[in-house]
Amino acid sequence: MGKLNGKVAAITGGTRSIGRAIAEAFLREGASVVINGRDEAKGQQALADIGVPDRTRFFAGDAAKQATVEGLVDAAIDAFGQLDIMVLNSGGVVNSAPVSMMTDEEWQLEIDWNLNHVFWGMRKALQHMLPRDTGRILVTSSVEGKIAKPGIPGYNATKHAVNGLVKSAAKEVGTTGITINSILPGLIETDIVRSTGPETAQAMGLESYEAMLGVFTQESAIKKCNTVEQVAAVAVMLASDAARNITGCMFPVDGGTMPY
Amino acid sequence: MGELDGRVAAITGGTRGIGRAIAEAFLRDGAQVVVSGRDAAKGQRAIDEIDAGDRVHFVQGDAAVRADCDRLIDETVARYGRIDILVNNAGGSANNAPVVDLTDEAMDYALHLNLWSTFWCSRRALAHMIPQQWGRIINISSLEGKVGKPGIAVYVTAKHAVNGLTKSMAHEVGTLGITVNSLCPGAIETDMMKEEGTKAAASMGMAYEDLLAWFSSESAIKRLNEVEDVALVASLLASDAGAGITGSLISIDGGTSPY
Repeated sequence: MGKLNGKVAAITGGTRSIGRAIAEAFLREGASVVINGRDEAKGQQALADIGVPDRTRFFAGDAAKQATVEGLVDAAIDAFGQLDIMVLNSGGVVNSAPVSMMTDEEWQLEIDWNLNHVFWGMRKALQHMLPRDTGRILVTSSVEGKIAKPGIPGYNATKHAVNGLVKSAAKEVGTTGITINSILPGLIETDIVRSTGPETAQAMGLESYEAMLGVFTQESAIKKCNTVEQVAAVAVMLASDAARNITGCMFPVDGGTMPY
Repeated sequence: MGELDGRVAAITGGTRGIGRAIAEAFLRDGAQVVVSGRDAAKGQRAIDEIDAGDRVHFVQGDAAVRADCDRLIDETVARYGRIDILVNNAGGSANNAPVVDLTDEAMDYALHLNLWSTFWCSRRALAHMIPQQWGRIINISSLEGKVGKPGIAVYVTAKHAVNGLTKSMAHEVGTLGITVNSLCPGAIETDMMKEEGTKAAASMGMAYEDLLAWFSSESAIKRLNEVEDVALVASLLASDAGAGITGSLISIDGGTSPY
């Protein structure tokens, strides 16, 4: 018996890293899962690796695009008849720079990817969940949703913004059977962090990727990175029926980094 | 197969309310559990009701007394060979009043029951957890550990202090495989709430029902929380998967706390 038997989940950015770990944890708990990613080939490879063909689908598209996020909700309902859990997980930093050197294009990308994507997905999911009076919306936010570092202003601003959106929406639907929560991980060495890390380190004025890891882990109590599995365990809990009274929560998975 | 197989937990004030729900959740997950309480008869009844054989044990003791806190940890280790998880759950306040009318005794009692008890039990338990490089300390704080309400200043003050202790301890032992967290539940209608909530409401010049309605109205869910909500999160923090969560003040309040 799984904690999510019969539930249907959709996850933006679910082919690797945090989203992938959440997908696999949900599948272990009995859910059906539609994952999303930009690259069709990588998506199909992820499905093959996961190896649960009857309960998994892939929906290709860029999570920074409205059509993708809304299409993902439709795809889940088409494939499995309903949507119970929406995980708005995709997000990140590209071509970051200090505010004085930030381009409009980069700023807009961060807003579309980290914030608008969450709004689009939340709105569409709620339109399906409200009539059913049941649902779980989880947003992968970040410690940067509460605290800030130099050199990644777009990421900081948009992660703060999604936390505001989560709190507001949680209050809007608080008396329904829908909960809306943010999960705030500390730094995790995901594929995306490895690939964009050197560039981000430069934007933060640090000499190397390793130095950036040190900056993050040094602020924690555990003095090391978090793991995708730690985030997935919290996601399973919040997605379960038992978590019906936890909403509007900024759930930390940060090894003791955030001061509040 | 449970996620707490082989783990040993001690829970202060575990015979009823939140502590009891956590004890039952830990037992379901495979742990061995020691619960404490002031009243031996109530403790025995709780053990009989829980019905988990030799995997559960009661130690009579008052969490506001240092010797009783030390003995709870010592008896846990004596009986089950180790201590992996400490839940500092006992807490509360009495003789609540607006600060202008508050007695020294009311403040002293709340600090002993909530703060000193957490300090005493944690200090004793850490002496075992540090050498074994594994441990979980879960402090049952409150929404009132983050925000204030009039008329219950002793409770608010003590729970804020517990949250400060949580953060400091988490940083002290962060690299040793030990996590320390506070759970901050919203109002739950436990036996204790029925008893002390009625008096606290009276001290604020309101009916008990109005006090509960006030708590509910501040939440997103517009209802009270339940003890099972807290047990759910406690189980996660106590598990291996909780290793990356420490120094956190986790709201279990139906969307009440502003942060």
